Amino acid sequence: MAVIEWIRFLFGALFLLCGLVIFCIEMVGVFRFRYVLNRMHAAAMGDTLGIASSLIGLMLINGWNFTSLKLFCVIVFLWFSSPTSSHLIARLEVATDEKRSGHYSVFRLDEPDKRGKKEAEPVYEAGGSGGGNGMNKRAGS
Amino acid sequence: MGKGIPGLDQAYHVLFTVVLVVLAVMIILCLIRAIIGPRIADRIVATNMMGTIVMVIIATLAIMMKEGYLADICIIYAMISFLAVIVLTKVYMGVYREKKEEESDGGH
Repeated sequence: MAVIEWIRFLFGALFLLCGLVIFCIEMVGVFRFRYVLNRMHAAAMGDTLGIASSLIGLMLINGWNFTSLKLFCVIVFLWFSSPTSSHLIARLEVATDEKRSGHYSVFRLDEPDKRGKKEAEPVYEAGGSGGGNGMNKRAGS
Repeated sequence: MGKGIPGLDQAYHVLFTVVLVVLAVMIILCLIRAIIGPRIADRIVATNMMGTIVMVIIATLAIMMKEGYLADICIIYAMISFLAVIVLTKVYMGVYREKKEEESDGGH
């Protein structure tokens, strides 16, 4: 029996430390990216994968009971709520950004698409400072 | 958990302590990000991250202290953190709109 308990400890610790490493990667991304919408990418990874891995490790350690079910509920709830909050924060950022410093471009969906005549031109205020330049070179017309 | 096997209880204790210490350091880093974040969305993202890490800490404490009801608190914390993000976003959108309207009124 002791061997089984040790194996359970090893797997639980593996998942828990995996979640911890993912949180570390999240921190590195949040401190090294240059813009909010890039930082949000790193932050959303910890919200879904990091907490899922950590709580799966804790569920393995805890065993098969109601506490594990509650932890599973937390994972499921975060999988639904994290994309929603990311969407809201991104909309806030795009709506209140006045300078729009060349980090992203806005495609308006309600305007008619000019793709039939020529290349669909993005509404792109070039403000220098790199970032979005490579993404807007579409292939061909 | 340990079930009286020699060494296993100690191993669990060391594991949980290491996890809690590392997560506490990460919360301080999140706080730094929330303070230096140049835009308002930066601060909201950092607050959201802090909520996620606090959830992991509460779940770890629930397993470590064998107190099952702390998992309920974890669920409540997830819901309140989500609600906080929604409310903060709406509030700052409204503040921004009011500021724009005041500016356009003053321009005339």
